[in-house]
Amino acid sequence: MFLRKIYIILFTGILLLVKPSFGQLHCGTVDIVPNTSVNELLTFDSFSQYQGGIVINSVARIRVRVTDQAVPDPLCSWHLYMIVDNNPGAGTPVNEWEELTQYGNGLNINPPINSLEIRVRNGCQTSPIDGVFQTFTNHGDIIDIIAQMILITPAGSCAPNVNGPGDYLTNYNEYNFDIDIRVKPSFQFNPGIYQLNVKFHLEENP
Amino acid sequence: MRKFKVYATALFIGAFATANAQLIDEKDVTITMDLQPVLQLEMTTPNQLEFVFDEINEYYSGITQYGATILKVSSTVSWDLYAVGRSTGTNGPTFWDQQIDYGNNNPNAIANLPLSLVELRQNQVNNGAGAALGAFADYSAQFSPATTPSGQNSLYVNAGTNTPPTTNDKYIGGHAGTSGVAGQDFLPGGSYLTQTGTTSDYYYSIDYRILPSLPAIFPMAFDATGLVSQDLVTVNGAGAYAEPGVYTMYVQYILLEDQ
Repeated sequence: MFLRKIYIILFTGILLLVKPSFGQLHCGTVDIVPNTSVNELLTFDSFSQYQGGIVINSVARIRVRVTDQAVPDPLCSWHLYMIVDNNPGAGTPVNEWEELTQYGNGLNINPPINSLEIRVRNGCQTSPIDGVFQTFTNHGDIIDIIAQMILITPAGSCAPNVNGPGDYLTNYNEYNFDIDIRVKPSFQFNPGIYQLNVKFHLEENP
Repeated sequence: MRKFKVYATALFIGAFATANAQLIDEKDVTITMDLQPVLQLEMTTPNQLEFVFDEINEYYSGITQYGATILKVSSTVSWDLYAVGRSTGTNGPTFWDQQIDYGNNNPNAIANLPLSLVELRQNQVNNGAGAALGAFADYSAQFSPATTPSGQNSLYVNAGTNTPPTTNDKYIGGHAGTSGVAGQDFLPGGSYLTQTGTTSDYYYSIDYRILPSLPAIFPMAFDATGLVSQDLVTVNGAGAYAEPGVYTMYVQYILLEDQ
């Protein structure tokens, strides 16, 4: 009986010291709404499209929803970035679009990843890269939209780097990000069908 | 007690085994790009040309039509451009089609006039022919004097086939071969629309000349290499001359991906 009491006290103390984790640190939920995939096909079949490029505005909308826990944690914040993937497992060179098929004789070069330009914008211009087309260079390159940082800028600030709990429904201009893409092919690219994947990653800050 | 130890130990292990992990969500945007090859050759000039030889001096000096054809190139891939003489084959795939014959059908009057008697001259040098091996890489040379037969401007003929010129023959732009080295055997993708300056690799003005001479044997007719004469005397023997009449043929301009 005495030993039993000792065990109870001992293990209870250890459990209290060990921080119980339920899969989160500070926030309640972290969501991109909706998080379904977007597929966009750009077809270049006229000279004017090659010369002028194709711009797709709002090809996707990243709508962020970050909620507090039942007992709000003042440290709840989040960061958002985009990362490019060209399926290197298929043998794709690190700096090229993935080749799905090729027309012609293939004597020229395949399009490089940096021929894709991507722009992020919202009404409050919360991202430091808001409104400016960005490019990736190699597979795995990351571009921060809202960088991971200690300073928490709360929702409603309509200021750079808003990263506190909030919702696109209540603060649309801070928690909604419109994504635009632009491609202006060079005349030196091999004709064919190519593919790239851009993954948007939302995560609470530790 | 033993069961209690087991349960307590399991709970203890479970407490340490539970990991801290940030909440994460992701969304994928997949972009597929279909680059279709686009090659456009525009010809804004009339497609019918007439050469009427009814004066002696026209037989001696020939008839030249300057700038009779303007070619404008737009291409999204590396390209070659060449010209080839063709007919419907009435007299054979390498000869003009005779529509009407005049005269008395003298045995020395030859109706089989070689397509290569047509001469072309392009307004600028072919800047994509560095690897050409023949005597004449393009049609940029000046028309030779009437007294100096030369195949430097003689039109390429392939006997009605689809065979493009070889490295020994003439191209207007680019050339045979796939070295992949700029300037050697292709011209890069682009368009006359974006070119500036007084010359452009995407814009060509073509002059035509036909010089029958007297007698009318067409001394400027040569084979594809420009080295072997195809005038009527060389081919048919002494005393041969062109049978008077009306003849037709056509020049086909072919723009294709570098090959």
